[in-house]
Amino acid sequence: MDWTLVFFFVFALIALGGALYMLNLQKVVHMAVALAFTFFGLAGLYVLLEAEFIAFAQIMVYSGAITILMLYGIMMTRHDAEEAPLRRPVHTALAFIGALGLFGFLFYGIMTTPWPGGSTEPLVEDNVRELGLALFNEYVIPFELAAILLLVALVGAVVLAKREVED
Amino acid sequence: MSAWTWLIPIFPLLAFLLLIGLGRSLRPAAGYVASLAVAVSLVLSLFVLAEVSAAGGAMVHTFPWLTAGDTTFTMGIEVNRLNAMMLAIVSFVSLLVHIYSIGYMHGDDRYGTYFAYLALFTFSMLGLVISPNLLQTYIFWELVGLSSFLLIGFWYFKPQARDAAKKAFLMTRIGDVALFAGMILLFWQVGSFQFSDIFAAVRAEEIDPGMVTLTAILIFIGAVGKSGQFPLHTWLPDAMEGPTPVSALIHAATMVAAGVYLVARTYPLFEASPTALTVVAAVGGFTAIFAASIGLVQTDIKRVLAYSTVSQLGYMMLALGVAGYTAAVFHLGTHAFFKALLFLAAGAVIHAVHTQDIREMGGLWRKMPLTAWVFLIGALALSGIPPFAGYFSKEEIILAAWEGGHPVLFALAVVAAFFTAFYMFRLFFLVFVANPRDAAAAKRIDAVRPVGREMTLPMLALAALSVVAGFVNTPWYHGLAGWLSADGLTSHYEAPGFVGWITALTVLTALVGIGLAASMYARGTLSPAALARRLEFGYDMLLNKYWIDELYGATVVRGAFGLGRLLHGIDRYIVEGLVALVGVLFRFVGRIGTALQTGKAQASNLVGVLGLVLLLIILTLGGVWE
Amino acid sequence: MVNLASYLTVSALLFCLGLFGVLTKRNAVIVLLSIELMLNAVNLNLVAFSKFGAFPGLDGQVLTLFSLTVAAAEASVGLAILITLFRNRGTAEVNEMDMMKR
Repeated sequence: MDWTLVFFFVFALIALGGALYMLNLQKVVHMAVALAFTFFGLAGLYVLLEAEFIAFAQIMVYSGAITILMLYGIMMTRHDAEEAPLRRPVHTALAFIGALGLFGFLFYGIMTTPWPGGSTEPLVEDNVRELGLALFNEYVIPFELAAILLLVALVGAVVLAKREVED
Repeated sequence: MSAWTWLIPIFPLLAFLLLIGLGRSLRPAAGYVASLAVAVSLVLSLFVLAEVSAAGGAMVHTFPWLTAGDTTFTMGIEVNRLNAMMLAIVSFVSLLVHIYSIGYMHGDDRYGTYFAYLALFTFSMLGLVISPNLLQTYIFWELVGLSSFLLIGFWYFKPQARDAAKKAFLMTRIGDVALFAGMILLFWQVGSFQFSDIFAAVRAEEIDPGMVTLTAILIFIGAVGKSGQFPLHTWLPDAMEGPTPVSALIHAATMVAAGVYLVARTYPLFEASPTALTVVAAVGGFTAIFAASIGLVQTDIKRVLAYSTVSQLGYMMLALGVAGYTAAVFHLGTHAFFKALLFLAAGAVIHAVHTQDIREMGGLWRKMPLTAWVFLIGALALSGIPPFAGYFSKEEIILAAWEGGHPVLFALAVVAAFFTAFYMFRLFFLVFVANPRDAAAAKRIDAVRPVGREMTLPMLALAALSVVAGFVNTPWYHGLAGWLSADGLTSHYEAPGFVGWITALTVLTALVGIGLAASMYARGTLSPAALARRLEFGYDMLLNKYWIDELYGATVVRGAFGLGRLLHGIDRYIVEGLVALVGVLFRFVGRIGTALQTGKAQASNLVGVLGLVLLLIILTLGGVWE
Repeated sequence: MVNLASYLTVSALLFCLGLFGVLTKRNAVIVLLSIELMLNAVNLNLVAFSKFGAFPGLDGQVLTLFSLTVAAAEASVGLAILITLFRNRGTAEVNEMDMMKR
């Protein structure tokens, strides 16, 4: 009984299902919630890939913060509570063809590339510790830059979303 | 003087150019200017005639004109006996018609333009007869056709005149195309347009006999068109819409004779092909009797004369076909004189009575005695009564037919002679002798005033010639025959001599014709109306010209219109459709472009994605990922 | 037997679904959401390669962390812009934002 396979399928199904539901549901809020499921599924997949820290970061950031952020955005932009389907058959059809084409190409690439057989040994002993070491030693500069980026984003978002002061 | 032959057509040309430009301001003098130019041409022609008579062969001057590849086309002049005779006849009759027109067209709005056109015609005709090669002949042939068109449609505000001009041009065009085809075939075979080269090749039997026959017949078709032979004859009677002097000059004496002249000019070609000669004779003979029969019942004085012209031209073609070269040329000359005379006299009548319908005339002898006399002379000449000119020339033709062993043609010629005498004197009696039919006509007759001198003098001159011109070639004295063949260009002429019973037959036929006409129209012993009723179908058929015009209208004209409509449809729907299609195509492409330029992000994104996918697919298929 | 190809396939599927959403959805928030989906697919790809790739190591996971960070920043800024746009235009529809038409 290859539990890895089972869990892989389960989590993959949750991820893909969430994405599909997101595309096909009518109400905007439902769409956001569906996507949250996708994030969860992905987190599971990260665990399977021995990236536990990433998995928890994913849950916290994505299905926690970003989903809530999107919901706030939905609330504030006074949607019509649902996305009325727009009759743009040509556009939709072409988009479908484009996405399908891209997937086809990627799939072709995946299938024909001779991937190296992965080792069955565990990657590292302590994921968080190793990650921290790597982050503060080799990748310290990108780390700092990412911090500045977050600061900039925060300031920018605040400035942008500030209401005009009525004088 | 022969080197100055080229001047002969130049004077009328100068007159034309002058009058086209200044015709309006020179109004009263226009007629005199044109007449003076033609008079100078006449004088020069007479000099040339004298010189050619003295000299032996022909005189040719050519200069190179156009070089295309290896061949050089030349232009120039050639003067031989036939040409010189034609030059003299054409310029003389033209001069008389010019003088006559001064009186006839007096007071017309476009007086100057009229004389310009007359001068153009004279130039073209004179140029035609002295052409040394087929190409030049064709050029002048077309010019003559153009002048005819301009003059027939001179009173262009009359729809019948416009239609008649168009009809004339289109019908002669059919002949012209055949002539052109024959010309090109000859050029292809011989390598030159020059008459001398062509005749040399024919005599040396360098050309395939079938080709000789073909080209001869094609050239003859050109003559059929121009000379109004069956089946291209219907334009001539309609051409009577033009002024009467025009009818006299062009459609009696000269232009229509151009067809006969052409056949005579290219005679060696015809002599080499008995088939062609038979065709010529058959068409000529048939036309002679056909046209004469129509002329029996026509009521318009000019139309009777027109059909008579067609018939007489048929006689000339008949003569050429039975190897009576001299007879044909002789008849051409005499016919020019008396037919022009008849037309001018008719013109005088029309000018006085203001109608062309002979049923509205009668008894004009008292009022216009001079005109009546000259008309009588012309009629007698045309009917072939000795000692007038027509007798001798007609006699030659009938003799040639008999001597050549063509009994059918001989019979046709004699019957046609009978018809000719009959309808001419029917005309004469109805117009001049018989009493007016009703009161209106009588009143019209009473109002007639005498005709001006410009009009009577030419008529007198032509009358004189109609009397004496016959004596140049009688059964006892073959002056013309000898003179024509002296330059060695035409074949040796066998003089038939005097055949007594034929002469008696022809004269008798003519007299019977006159007598019949007299009894029907002058004395009233035989009623024409009763005869018409008894032979009603025949009468109808003749009156309606055998319904040939209607036949042409239903077939050729309708066919041409149908083709025109078809092509118009193709032009509108297919050609323009293609053009519109291009526009639609561009608009379609534009609309696609518009769809991309909406400013909506998703549209641009879509384009990007599609482009990426396309690129990847192309790269994959191109095998880049090896 | 789960190998690299399976993870990559899942990642490709998610990516294309996200792409379809970006191109087709009318509500701007949903478009942003779809962009997040695409970024997630990329993360999955990186992590899969870090485990199964030619050089197994933690580099992929580090990059994933950074990708996560940037995605979060981008989402917040994007939403801020959207809210401003909504305030000015009164609608959150992507198709109404066509000021770049000319």
